[in-house]
Order: sequence, then C-alpha cells, then structure tokens
Amino acid sequence: MTEYKVDVTNLQKSYGSNHVLKGINFKVANNEVVVLIGPSGSGKSTLLRCLNKLEEPTSGSIVIDGQDISLPSTNIDKARENIGMVFQHFNLFNNMTVGENIMLAPVELGKMDKDTAREEARQLLETVGLSDKFDAMPASLSGGQKQRVAIARALAMNPDVMLFDEPTSALDPEMVGDVLEVMKELAKDGMTMVVVTHEMGFAKEVADRVVFMADGYVVEEGKPEEVFDNPQHERTKSFLDKVINV
Amino acid sequence: MKKLFIWLSLLLGITFVATMAQTPERVQAAQKTYTIATDVTFPPFVYANSDNKYVGIDMDLIKAVAKEEGFKVEIKPIGFNAAIQAVQAGQVDGMIAGMTITDERKKTFDFSTPYYSSGIVMAVKPGSDVKTLKDLKGKTVAVKTGTSGADYANSIKAKYGFKTVTFDDSDNMYDDVKTGNAAACFEDSAVLEYGVKTGLGLKIVTKPTNTGDYGFAVKKGANQELLNKFNHGLAALKKNGTYDKIIAKYTGKKALSDKNNAANGHNEYTILGLLKQNKSALISGIVETIWLTIVGILFATIFGIIIGLLGVVPNKIAQGFSTTVIYIFRGLPLIVLALFIYNGVPSLTGTKVPAFIAGVITLTLNEGAYIGAFVKGGIESVDHGQMEAARSLGLPFGKAMKRVVLPQGIKLMIPSFINQFIITLKDTSILSVIGILELTQTGKIIIARNLQGFRMWAIIAVIYLLMITILTLFSKWIERRMKN
Repeated sequence: MTEYKVDVTNLQKSYGSNHVLKGINFKVANNEVVVLIGPSGSGKSTLLRCLNKLEEPTSGSIVIDGQDISLPSTNIDKARENIGMVFQHFNLFNNMTVGENIMLAPVELGKMDKDTAREEARQLLETVGLSDKFDAMPASLSGGQKQRVAIARALAMNPDVMLFDEPTSALDPEMVGDVLEVMKELAKDGMTMVVVTHEMGFAKEVADRVVFMADGYVVEEGKPEEVFDNPQHERTKSFLDKVINV
Repeated sequence: MKKLFIWLSLLLGITFVATMAQTPERVQAAQKTYTIATDVTFPPFVYANSDNKYVGIDMDLIKAVAKEEGFKVEIKPIGFNAAIQAVQAGQVDGMIAGMTITDERKKTFDFSTPYYSSGIVMAVKPGSDVKTLKDLKGKTVAVKTGTSGADYANSIKAKYGFKTVTFDDSDNMYDDVKTGNAAACFEDSAVLEYGVKTGLGLKIVTKPTNTGDYGFAVKKGANQELLNKFNHGLAALKKNGTYDKIIAKYTGKKALSDKNNAANGHNEYTILGLLKQNKSALISGIVETIWLTIVGILFATIFGIIIGLLGVVPNKIAQGFSTTVIYIFRGLPLIVLALFIYNGVPSLTGTKVPAFIAGVITLTLNEGAYIGAFVKGGIESVDHGQMEAARSLGLPFGKAMKRVVLPQGIKLMIPSFINQFIITLKDTSILSVIGILELTQTGKIIIARNLQGFRMWAIIAVIYLLMITILTLFSKWIERRMKN
C-alpha cells in the first residue's frame, strides 16, 4: 500500500441546501505537485480549505500524513503546523513587520527561540528574493512581494504539505511571474503541493498531475499533457477551450 | 501595552481600597443609626442652608427626636419620589419630607402622629391672568411627583379642564411657572408661603384647601420600633417647648427676614459669589462624579471587553450570552436600570445596596454593554483572513486572537472607547436619581436653596465641560502611548 501525504475519501461539504462538494476522492503522493483547475463554483477552493479544516467537512475523511483531521479528537492546531497555506489575498498580519510575520508562529508555538527564528526568517526572505524587506510593514509592499512573504511565512513552520489557494489571482500581471518562480523552486526541492490556480502554463510546466473539478465532483484527472491535450470529458473540453483560447 | 496594563491594575487597586474605605463610618455607631430619606428641596421643611447643611422643620425635628430618644440618624436627601421608593425597597428605614398622610399612602406606609398641618394652595406668576381655578381652562399646571399638590391637581383637572406637567423637584416646578410654560402650580401652603416670602417670585391666589397632616413614615409593618420612638419623642418635644421653637424658627417673621438679609449680605448671586459660597459642596460633588466615572469606566471596560470577547469566540453559548447581555443592558434606559438596581432588587432580596455601589453596577452594565458591542464589532471588522492565516499556521484561537486580531481591532476601537468614557462621565449625572451626591445632585440642592437656576446650571455645565476636556486629553494621551 502506498502511503499518501493527502488521502481524501468521499468528502462532502454543504452550506445548508447548497452542496459544494458531492463526494470527492482525492490523493496526493509524497513530493507530488497537484494542480486543481475548474470553473469558479466548482468547489476546488472549498476542497483545498477542507484539507487544513478551515472549512468543516460535512462528511467523509481527510487523512493527512496518516492522521484523519476530520475526526473531532484530532488536535487540528498540531496538524496545521505541518500544512502550510498561501491565500489569494496574502493575509499578511498588518500589525507586524515582514520579519515578525514570519517569526510569529515558530516562536509562539515554541518551535524555535527568537534568535533562531530571526535567522531562519532572513534566510527564507532571501530565498523569495526579499532580503531587504525584513523590517518593512506589509502595507508598503507590492502584491507580488506580499505573496512571496506569505509563502516564506508558511515555510517558516517547515511544513510537509503546502496548499496554494489561487496565489496569483489578486496580482497585477507583471507580479505573477515572481510568485510562480518561487513556487517552481519549491516544487523542484520536492515539496508536496496542492495548488488551485487559473495559471494553465504553470499547471502544464510544474504539475505532476492535474485534477479538473466541476459542480462539486472530480471530473477528470491525469498528467498535464493528458488532461490538456487529450481531455476525455465534454465538460473538461469546453472549460479548456474557454481558458486557453482567451 | 504592558505598561498600560500595570497602570490599569494599579488604578483598580486604588479604587478598591478607596471604595472599601468609604463604608466603615456606617458601622461604627454604638447607638443605633437609622437611615432617613428626605427631599432635596422642600423649604421650610427640608432644604440645604448656605453652608449646604440640611435644615428645616423636618430636619430639626428628626434630629431633636433622635437626641431625645437616643438614636442616630443618617439623612439621605434623595428627592421625594426616590425617598418613597427607597422606603418601600427597604434601602432606608424611614422618611420625613413634608409628607401628607393619605389613605392611599396608608396602604403601604405606617405614619407617625401628625407633626404639622398644611393645605394645598395655587401659585401663579405675578401679573398672571389666572386668579381662580376656573381660569385654568385649557392651560397647563406644574406639579411635583407624588405630592398631595399633584393628587389635588389631578383630582380636579377634569372638572376645570387643565393639563398637568410633573416634575421631580420643587424648583423645577416653580421655574416652569416662572418661565410661563405652566400657568400655575399646586403645593402645600406652608411651603409656598415660605417661598413667596423668601423671594420665590410667585404669588398665592387661592385659600388653603384639602388640608392634610404631615407625618413621619416607615414601610408598612416594618421599623415599628423607630416609629414608636418618633411618636414618643415628638410628644416629649411638644411638651417641653422644643417643637414650638422649631416651628417658630422656620415660619416666624423674624426667621424669614433674617434669611433674606443673610442672602443679600453674602452677595451670593454673582457667578463668583455663587462659586465662593458653594465651593465645598461643588468640590465634593465633583469628587463624587470623578470617583463614579473612574470606577464606572474601569469596571465597564473590563466587563465590556469580556462580553465583547465572548461574542467572538467560536462557541454558540458564549455568543448567545454576549448578545443577550448587550441586548438587555443596551436596551434599558440608564435611569430605569439605576432605579431597578437601587430600589427594585433590594425590595426583592431584602438586602440594601449602597447608592454608590448601585451606581457603579448601573454604569458597569450599561456602559459595559455598549463597550461589549463595539469590542465585538471591532474584532469582527478585522479582515477574516487575518484569523484564517494565523490559524492555518497552527496558532490556537486564543493566541491568534491575542497576537493578530486584537491588536488590529483595538486600533479600530480606540475612538469608540474615548467616546464611551465621555458618555460615562455624563451619564453619572443620571445617578442623581438614586440620591448619589454627585455634581448634578449637588447643583439641584444648591438651587433648591438659592433658586439661582440659570447661574448655577451654567456653572455646573462649565464644570462638566472642563472635566470632559481633561478626560479627553487623558484619553488621547493613552491613545498615543498605545500606538507606540
């Protein structure tokens, strides 16, 4: 039996009568980069947010690193320490400097002392190309810089899995490249990643597997070249026609 | 942030000690001490003299009786209506306030033997067209809450076709007639005669009617020992001539002219004169207002922050509790809440609540509910993504709240806090209804004596503005410190 990093079985999520996820089975292997694509409202962001329980699943199981986080008995805070997340709108802590943003969780959660955390933060900023921004306030950064800080912040906890929720959707076009570059580096270093994105170029180039979702179901999945060049389902074809021809 | 916390704790400590230190005088008496409520303004029966000491027929009488019978009295000048409620609630042992003995009142009070007889007369502004009851048709008449004058006016208003407007204090009632808002007022003849002679500026146009007897009163069935002592003492005073002396002191011709001379001699009707004359009373009123404000703000802030935080924790019961508390105490008028806590709760539980404590509880609940609402709102208005990002890193709710959300929320709340502190300071004035001798109540009492409504209220208004200015500057100073 292969040990999966992420193993989702029959996941359902509804808000009242609105069924957003209608029975998802979804696996991610170690070191694998999975890109979730699909029209808006298909449930891909909800699926991603269920993976660290920012959304409470209605039913089904979500096993991360062998631990079922959908169980009430699971300490979700502990589990989240190993699951990094990057948000569409960055969500940098506005009341702290860039450095403090990155240092907060490792120090508060007793992973490192302050000096080690500071050193770590500086190194992370260097890897995302922002070594001069340690003392800057988030408000003074551009969108692309903010998102790179957000990635560094998530990496500071040294997670096993990174979740990306449309990380480039809120960026000006000229900023997108820098952020994708950082993500590609991460993938190259063997990080297990689940990425919700509309960047089809990134999906083609970096993804080990592409998952197409529509109407709360996984419609089709496979290697990028299979899904993009030879889609099996009508729904996938029409979606790809729309995105790629634009 | 940390420094501020230490400051606040220190302040809390001082307040506690001070509140404790305020009470012991009540306990030390070897002789039995009775608490007696009275009106703030009902000369010649009860009023504050130029030294702001309570004097008048009722005051001298109760003190003479106490001396005769060997007990002590603590006088609470809280207004006629509040006195009635305080007796019924058991907050005070008895009341003496020129109170007419009526069958209606006998249902809830036990009265002493009468100590004075008086009738109701009508007074109008000099030069008024109103000369008889018939002239009142279609007009408005001012009366004082719960008095026999009010009962009389209400009993004949249908017959003569006038409306009534009700005041809590005699001077407000007189002022309403003097300004022409009301055409006339009804009041006991002894009171009005005294007022007219001492320059009240009204004239009496009817003969005394509905003659009634004044009595000292206790709650029905309670404090019978006190009632017996009063009756016994009153009889003794009548026998030895003290009673006649007291009556003569306040209604004799000499007494009245003396008072006028004293007033003129003091030159007390300029702003400066009024300030000089009432310096000590005003200062103690200001001190009481400041204490109420500081202690009130402190407890309301703590209570409000707790209520606000309960409103945002991910727990339905806590949220429901928070919402309910805010709904109830923000929905209740402060005056209702104050009367409920001071008069309502003790009549149910049978324990007295000191006025100051009742006042602080009132402010804590009411201002705290407002603070809770904007604390909750402030936290909720911090972008939800901040909490999500913090939680996604593995920070538990409490840490995420403390390190990320609260620091941002507090910034949004600071203007609301300053605003609420100013409102709290102003709201202390409402606590005059439960007889706390703060600035407004002090003003009422002084005006009851010197009838200088315009100048005195102007002085009081300026004092409030000064205090609010100081409070605002202090708050801004704290705000600046918090930003660093």
